[in-house]
Amino acid sequence: MFTQFFGSYLLNKKIVSPANLRLALEKKDSTRVKLGVLAINAGYMTAKQVDAVHRKQATVDKRIGDIAVEMGYLTEAQVEELLSSQKTGCLLLGQALVDMGCLTNEEFETVLKNYKKENDLTDKDFSEESNEKTENVISSFFSLEGEYSDYCSEYVNILFKNLIRFVGDDFTPLVNAEIGDNDLTVIQELCGDFSAVSAISLDDKAAAVFASRFAEEEVTDMDYAKDAISEFLNLSNGLYNVNISESTGKEIGLTPQESTTASAVKSIKAKFTLTIPVEFTFGTVIFTLAVI
Amino acid sequence: MEKDISKAKVLVCDDSMMVRNKMKKLLTAYGFTQINEACDGAQAVEKFADIIPDITFMDIVMPEMSGVDALRLIKTNSPDAVVIMATSVGTVGNLSEAIKLGANDFLQKPVDDEQLYRLLDNYFKKEN
Repeated sequence: MFTQFFGSYLLNKKIVSPANLRLALEKKDSTRVKLGVLAINAGYMTAKQVDAVHRKQATVDKRIGDIAVEMGYLTEAQVEELLSSQKTGCLLLGQALVDMGCLTNEEFETVLKNYKKENDLTDKDFSEESNEKTENVISSFFSLEGEYSDYCSEYVNILFKNLIRFVGDDFTPLVNAEIGDNDLTVIQELCGDFSAVSAISLDDKAAAVFASRFAEEEVTDMDYAKDAISEFLNLSNGLYNVNISESTGKEIGLTPQESTTASAVKSIKAKFTLTIPVEFTFGTVIFTLAVI
Repeated sequence: MEKDISKAKVLVCDDSMMVRNKMKKLLTAYGFTQINEACDGAQAVEKFADIIPDITFMDIVMPEMSGVDALRLIKTNSPDAVVIMATSVGTVGNLSEAIKLGANDFLQKPVDDEQLYRLLDNYFKKEN
């Protein structure tokens, strides 16, 4: 999930444009993370050294790793270690942006270092994505504090995991977005110690793609799309309920999902409303969690 | 209980058409030919009485009547009915209540072929 928040970081700092980020998210799965990016991430080489190795490679017919060893930047053991290391989503996204010419190796080095520092993340955190670290990143991104912050950060954590697992990882959380007046909207109530109205809103174009991915079949009929989206909300809320009941021993009831209008969601009288907009490569999807 | 799949009747109860379609595909691929559907708890009870299925898949969160209430009614009238709860809300509370009412098994949504077929192998024998 740090990949998605890394994308938001790049957008918010205006390091990449939304269009380039979308393109990089589309490309990242077919991107091969190169040794230079891996070495920068591990802190074994600086971007300047990586650039020097690349310049040298243009003049000799040798592998990057061999040149880096010859130039004394890496040991053979480090090359082996880097090549077999886990290629996290952040690195794939970074490499895609470097390949597209949107970032230089030096810019990537700086931005990755700052992102890790600002969010107190280590390389181990990137590969393990512990719930505690993830929820810290979520809380800070959505400025969650107070009575409901734990429920809300756990809600977003489960929601994003489900989006990644069942819809796709090509999305970026946004700080702000407004539900469109004509957006297809489905709500489901959670009732118990923590009572809230959850909602998903998206336009027809995004709805068709979202539903097709989730249903694993081509969806063009909007009623069927609504049915699939409704089931996604129920699935994610159900899994959230399972998590809450495991961690607190208390259960949350779920009401059947209902189709409604965007204005109905906007007018919910809530103690606290968390808007969770995400920008997928196919459109914007806005989740709402209104604590009542 | 071991039954011949080609003669067995199935009832899939879920308010989502997408889920029912997916289940039908998976069940057909397993070899079932008589697959019936219900889209809420009340319809599940009605259809059950009508069909007397050999196996029933029951969602929990449904309009009109919840899957747990439908299970209670079905088991009251047909204590030997085989009912599998198929839900995303597999909490201890929901599951223990369903087990108390006589549910035979539980499937975590989204149901995949491996999970479903492993369960079905316990109830049915396939013709070679």
